[in-house]
Amino acid sequence: MNTISLKRAVNLMLTFSICLLTLFLTGCWDRVEINDLALVMATGLDKANDNNIELSVQLAIPKAMGGGQGMVGGHGGDKPTIVEKATGKTIFEAMSRLQEKVSRRIFWGHNEVIIIGEKLAREGIQRHIDFFTRHPSPRERSFVFVAKGKAIDTLKVIPDLERSSAEITRELANFKIGMSVTLKELVQMLIGNTRAAALPWIEVEREPENKMGLRVNGTAVFKKDKMVGRINDKVTRGVLWLRNEIKLSAVTFEPKGAEGQISFNLLRSHTELIPKIENGKWKITAKVVTEDDVVENETKLNLMNPKIVKEIEKQLEQEIDDRILMTVKLVQEEMEADIFGFADAFYRHYPDQWSKVKDQWDEKFPEVEVDIKSNAYIRRPGMSTSPQGIPENEVKGK
Amino acid sequence: MTRIWRKLKSNKAKKTLAAENAIQVEGSLYESLDENLNKLQSIYDECSDVIFRHFFISGKEKALLIYIEGMTNIEEIDNNVLSPLMQESEVLINDVKTMMEKKVPVSNIKEMKTFFDCVQEISVGNPVIIINGEKTGFSLGLSKWEKRSVEEASAEPVVRGPREGFVETILVNTSMLRKKIKSPVLKMHSMQIGRYTKTKVVIAFMEGIADKTLIEEVKNRLNRIEIDGVWESGMIEEFIEDNPYSPFPQVLATERPDVVTSNLLEGRVAILVDGTPFSIVVPTTIYSLLQSSEDYYARFLIGTAIRWLRYVFLVISLLLPSLYVAVITYHHEMVPTTLLISMAASHEQIPFPALVEALIMEITFEALREAGVRLPKQVGAAVSIVGALVIGDAAVSAGIVSAPMVMVVAITGIASFTIPRYSAAIAIRMLRFPMILLSGTLGLLGIMLGVITIVIHLCTLRSFGVPYLSPMAPTKLRDMKDVLIRAPWWKLNTRPHLTGEYNKYRQSSGQKPGPTKGDEK
Repeated sequence: MNTISLKRAVNLMLTFSICLLTLFLTGCWDRVEINDLALVMATGLDKANDNNIELSVQLAIPKAMGGGQGMVGGHGGDKPTIVEKATGKTIFEAMSRLQEKVSRRIFWGHNEVIIIGEKLAREGIQRHIDFFTRHPSPRERSFVFVAKGKAIDTLKVIPDLERSSAEITRELANFKIGMSVTLKELVQMLIGNTRAAALPWIEVEREPENKMGLRVNGTAVFKKDKMVGRINDKVTRGVLWLRNEIKLSAVTFEPKGAEGQISFNLLRSHTELIPKIENGKWKITAKVVTEDDVVENETKLNLMNPKIVKEIEKQLEQEIDDRILMTVKLVQEEMEADIFGFADAFYRHYPDQWSKVKDQWDEKFPEVEVDIKSNAYIRRPGMSTSPQGIPENEVKGK
Repeated sequence: MTRIWRKLKSNKAKKTLAAENAIQVEGSLYESLDENLNKLQSIYDECSDVIFRHFFISGKEKALLIYIEGMTNIEEIDNNVLSPLMQESEVLINDVKTMMEKKVPVSNIKEMKTFFDCVQEISVGNPVIIINGEKTGFSLGLSKWEKRSVEEASAEPVVRGPREGFVETILVNTSMLRKKIKSPVLKMHSMQIGRYTKTKVVIAFMEGIADKTLIEEVKNRLNRIEIDGVWESGMIEEFIEDNPYSPFPQVLATERPDVVTSNLLEGRVAILVDGTPFSIVVPTTIYSLLQSSEDYYARFLIGTAIRWLRYVFLVISLLLPSLYVAVITYHHEMVPTTLLISMAASHEQIPFPALVEALIMEITFEALREAGVRLPKQVGAAVSIVGALVIGDAAVSAGIVSAPMVMVVAITGIASFTIPRYSAAIAIRMLRFPMILLSGTLGLLGIMLGVITIVIHLCTLRSFGVPYLSPMAPTKLRDMKDVLIRAPWWKLNTRPHLTGEYNKYRQSSGQKPGPTKGDEK
């Protein structure tokens, strides 16, 4: 009895240790030490000759970038990033060429930004996007931008405030002042009903002199996967209102019958697209509900007076309506690309009618009538009640 | 191979050493004093500390006093035994028993008939008197030996709570328990373990609260022990465990009387061993190993918070180094970019892979800890200074380890010290090394494998029949009041299910205090 259980115990131990030892047979095959990695912070895609693609990557130099004890030698003059480039028929081929030059393994896991050069964007981006979604390491949450000129030029920017241009673009995208589109969202736009896409447009800024910076300045509009045009900063705001993506907005106007401007800061806003087909007429009603704070009041109006506030709210609504309508007009007439997502709204409410016009949506989209119904609420007059620096008796609407 | 097998078998064959070498002391006392003297002198051959003292009772009858020097209160013997007995007196009392009753003012006197009894009594320090012509000897309860005074429990200090800890003398320890539980329901079953040491072992339990089968099981397991000597409860612990190959302690060792008391009241059984301040409480669960007695003395909200802090740090002390190694060698995408860059920066000049780095640092830390415990106190300061240099700034600036790794090791070290029971903490600390190896070879997958293995092992463990993970697995929601949280005392109405079911209710419910209670209006 005793010997049997002993035998069993030894057998068990042997089996167990054999199982355990097999673990070590793998021999850490995919082990990569952290200091053998070349971290890609941002990627640039540009058109090269002969249908080739030029891949440029911004690599972090940890020695110069990371603080702490590991730092040696004099810093300050050290560049925190370097930009390397290579060309190839596909992105991966270019990357293999790139690896020949870079002594560390190129690691895409921290690629935060993909910047596409204007020329390439106009030719179509779909076939280049595939690499970033198929290869296991790049993130689907990296932000995509279109650069004015060549993408590599934006990567080469060494900023003053942030450590790399990748960080600037990421932060700008996070602010959501302009469009901010991740790779995943881009792919969804491309396969969606609208057959159109919009990407933020980025420019190198050299103002003031000897300073280098980046600026998100409008939106690149894509039809299918080809860029058809660019809309400016102001028009982009309208796009954001309609796409229900507006997060930051400053509206300034001069109220009727008053001298000076009032500035409003957006608290929150919600936009709902309500489609309607009446007598063969396709119509979209955009219901915009916004809440604002007053942050600046140059006029003599007393904003504690409900009557005045009501009046100003109406004018604010009008202002928002105008802004959005201006955008709609431009996009519908000039771009003919449905970057607002009207197609999805119709598809959801009228699937039958939608399927009939599905293939001719490009022609149908400019005909869609757009109606804006905005409701603005001024929630707070700010930290001071009456206009500042004005004697009480001059304040209007006591 | 087969030969090795056979060898193993023959070596492991059970050898019964039933009293093989033990000296046989048999027979009753003789009538003649000289014969008794001869026999006892042959038993205590070459025992210079055993004193034989001849004297005459009332100047007439020959008698012999035997005691061990240093274990007997000589003053008492002189004043209360020898001087009244040796006093010249005309009347000789024929009956020795009456004579002892009349002349010896000692409270504890026992009669003995055999040599075995004599030797027993002498061994524990009681002086023995044998009188010529009598087949009965007398032992006097006058033993007295040096003992440490009751001091603070140094291995389990508390901020609030009783300061006293057990000492090496079992009689002091049992008296401390008796002082806390003043009820005859507290039973102390005494037994001897050890062929030579004859160590006194006391099984303490509350009659009517502890399960009878549990008490029987404890007695059985203790009776099974056959060893030449016992001088620490750790030796007994290894003999009575359910799973001897587990790294986890399956009994609760404590030197605090208040811990023993609370466990007794929850229906557990305590085993006290003479010669050590550490007593054993069985059965135990992993959760009671993660509890400190102070949890129950602090306010319950704070007790709960501290308890959770401990759970979190338990996981950290087991997994942090391996997680770090896994992430830094396999899963670079999991670290926030900025952190990864600073980690890469500090790793820039380190010659070793992260796995080796972690092992070096962890082993050095363990060595430092061990050195700190073993070294004489005077040298202790030197260790901490050198230690701070070795696993601190110097190691980093020498470029041998990276700064984040020093952080990881330091946090892990602190985390393991938050576990209040040393035996549990050291088990976790030991398991850290296989976990680091697993993470260094298989990454997070390896960590998961390791964690699953440990959890399965914990599920199979039992302590005197009680599942080690109870009341979590098997789940007993009622008992969560003392595991997930530390419920206020007025809510701890029931005893733990598996040990206290015999006497379920600890107190009556509805004792929540408040201004509406009582006669105040």
